[in-house]
Amino acid sequence: MTVGAQRATLSPDPDLETGAVAVLAVLTGDEVYGFPLSSVREILMPPPLTEVPRAPAHFLGVIAVRGQIITLVDLPRLLNLAGAEGQPPGRVLLVDDGEELIGVAVDRVVQVYALQPDQIEYASAMNPDVSEHVVGVARVSLNSSTDTEEMLILLDPGALLGGLK
Amino acid sequence: MSDPRDNVQQEFLAEAQELVEALSRDLLLLDEAHQRGERADSALINEIFRSVHTLKGIAGMFGYKHVGTIAHALEDLLDDLRLGRTSIGDPLLDVLFDSIERFQRLLALEDPQAPEEGPGVEAYVAAVRSIGTSPAEEEGDPLDQYAIGAAVLSVLTEYEEHRLRACIREGMQLYRLRATFDLTAIDDSIETLRDLVQDDAEIITYLPSLEGGDDESIELVVLLASRVPEPELKTHFEGQYGSVEAIEEQTHLPTLQPSLTSIPADAQSTSPQPDGDPGHASLRSVAESVRVDIRKLDDLMNVVGELALVRSAIGRVTERFSGDPKHRQSLRELDRVGHGFERQLAELRTRILDVRMVPLGQVFGKFARIVRQAARERDKQVRLVVTGANTEMDKLIVEELADPLMHLVRNAIDHGIEPVSMRESLAKPAEGTLALNAYHKGSNVVIEIEDDGGGMDAHKLRQAAVSQGLLTAEASHELTRQEMLNLVFVPGLSTRSEVTDMSGRGVGMDVVKTNILRMGGMLSIASERGIGTKITVTLPITLAIIRALIVTIGSRTFALPITAVREAIPYVPKDVRTIEGREVITMRGETLPICDLARLFGFRRATPDDSRFVVVGSMGNRDLGFVVDELVGQEDVITKSLGQSLSSVRGFAGAADLGDQNLALVLDAPALFTEYFEGPDGLSAVERRP
Repeated sequence: MTVGAQRATLSPDPDLETGAVAVLAVLTGDEVYGFPLSSVREILMPPPLTEVPRAPAHFLGVIAVRGQIITLVDLPRLLNLAGAEGQPPGRVLLVDDGEELIGVAVDRVVQVYALQPDQIEYASAMNPDVSEHVVGVARVSLNSSTDTEEMLILLDPGALLGGLK
Repeated sequence: MSDPRDNVQQEFLAEAQELVEALSRDLLLLDEAHQRGERADSALINEIFRSVHTLKGIAGMFGYKHVGTIAHALEDLLDDLRLGRTSIGDPLLDVLFDSIERFQRLLALEDPQAPEEGPGVEAYVAAVRSIGTSPAEEEGDPLDQYAIGAAVLSVLTEYEEHRLRACIREGMQLYRLRATFDLTAIDDSIETLRDLVQDDAEIITYLPSLEGGDDESIELVVLLASRVPEPELKTHFEGQYGSVEAIEEQTHLPTLQPSLTSIPADAQSTSPQPDGDPGHASLRSVAESVRVDIRKLDDLMNVVGELALVRSAIGRVTERFSGDPKHRQSLRELDRVGHGFERQLAELRTRILDVRMVPLGQVFGKFARIVRQAARERDKQVRLVVTGANTEMDKLIVEELADPLMHLVRNAIDHGIEPVSMRESLAKPAEGTLALNAYHKGSNVVIEIEDDGGGMDAHKLRQAAVSQGLLTAEASHELTRQEMLNLVFVPGLSTRSEVTDMSGRGVGMDVVKTNILRMGGMLSIASERGIGTKITVTLPITLAIIRALIVTIGSRTFALPITAVREAIPYVPKDVRTIEGREVITMRGETLPICDLARLFGFRRATPDDSRFVVVGSMGNRDLGFVVDELVGQEDVITKSLGQSLSSVRGFAGAADLGDQNLALVLDAPALFTEYFEGPDGLSAVERRP
């Protein structure tokens, strides 16, 4: 999705009317991240994990999903966040980064948001220091009973996971 | 992949590839016969003709214009050859051999109509046409010797007539065989008859006779040419099939009326003559086989894996009832059914793996042509001797093997076998021998590439390594002869002063080694000056399934391919010594370097030192002991590769599912060997010596 300095934007979801983008929000540590729903193939209960010695720390190991060996990455580590050390993941997202299906360990899956284009503030319009894998941010209310808005950080799976190789 | 047009395209390419390979094999047989001064086998020429004809047909259908154009020109040439209008000679063979390369290149094109290929194709077609017709010597029409009758001659196809003449010229006697066939099974019966006569005679044609036969049967008159004396032929056929009658020279053959019910002459002229014809079998096997994308087999294998998971899930549910005496009878039954299910599942897995197996001959067939071509270019005489072409291996391995083996074969001709003059002065046979041997050895396949050439000069290799700065002079003197020979695998080393078309660029052997190791194989060299060189490649039969030793290291489970394991011995801490910073033990008087995998992988040790084991691995000419915590046992495991994202992590060949989604990483023994002896950056240990 990301080519050179060009920033990815989210293309409207063909399944949604009104040009909205479907984003799966997940909670990891204290932050809420959004993956384009179109890149998420499956949400799994974490299968038994096999660690891979000598792999960089953001690789948790490998898991078996329907006969396929999937690399599992730790989202906080990948984002250089101080995550909860050694916590078993709550859920595993199978994310297609355009080349490979990769397992992303998260604490919790929140919900799917249909974001209107005007809800998204793209990274290209923000401070140039924002990491390459961040597409932008959106403000959403996490809990429908309260009015508190949370910042949803939209990720580009291609830049985030493709960079591992 | 899902685009049906792509699929069709793939099918075409696969079929075209097979045809070109068959063509290549048959041309070699033709060339061999020609070099031996034998007459060309008519069945073989027919087979070649048919391959080209089919290729022309399918190329036309799929818009491969250039392939079609070439095939068309060749078809004409081969037709002339078939009909004796031209004869086999080097120019004709060269043109035919040239076509193989052209077909392969044209089939690989993105654009099958590429206009820039046009001139090359036209030039080639012109070359084919220029072979023209140069009929074999004609000394009066031999048919005149026999009064076969105009009525018969008029219904013979041009090809049949040509064969008839050829047979007479070869001194074969003509016979007429009358036999009655059941109408409903006539094709089978004729096929049987062909099989029966194939060693003794050639069927020129068969025509229905007007006599004999009824509503259910038909009497055929078979025109037969045979070398076998008449009495013998009679005992062979008479009674069982019908009467045999010699056609006398200059006598009158009873008129045979042509009939509309006769088998179309056309169909017959393109069907193979059945003299021990290999094409005969392959034609049949084509009809009885289907082409399957190997990925579909992988998918099937994954389904089998899923079924195994389902089976264990059922087992877990069953477990819950096991304490309940009420269910004892049902549980016992369920248990039995479960075992039956497991057996069938194992059977299914074996069968699917079996489908992936193909004979190595698929690759060896390609080499024959390369050997011929390379030997001609180098002006050397090389005889290729192949044994074990039927040895079967996983399709993926066979494909991956083609390039490394090709390199080894070319090396043997380029560097190994000496020019004729040199061989003669050494009192060696002028013709060098290149042997390709394949055989099974346990769960491995061994492939040997052996030549009787000049052998490798170990000292020259050492000097080259020193002069190219790959090795210090002092270090070079500590090398054993075997270590010097192994220098050939060091990247960038070349002893060849000039670069040839084929090898000598100093790239190659290291790439060959890397490729073989990546497939989980091993490579070793034996070479004697003046006697020859033998390179031995050992590979697992299948990539998908390997027999592995399951071990634990730091309470994690790992699988070690059994091919890399020689034995396992208890680890005795007090016996460990240190030499040049490396731990070694002594085993049967030999020093064995050891590598503590728990330490290498950065695990905290979970097992007391004195209950651990040393698994002795052997790779090529080197031994290395891997220190592990526990030996769990041997198991057949299906290895799957790790994702691209983990490709930079060294030491693991993949992961194997041990059931219930529990994975064991499969240790990459060749990589661990390389890492241990040559360091993680690929530098050889000898280079780093002070």
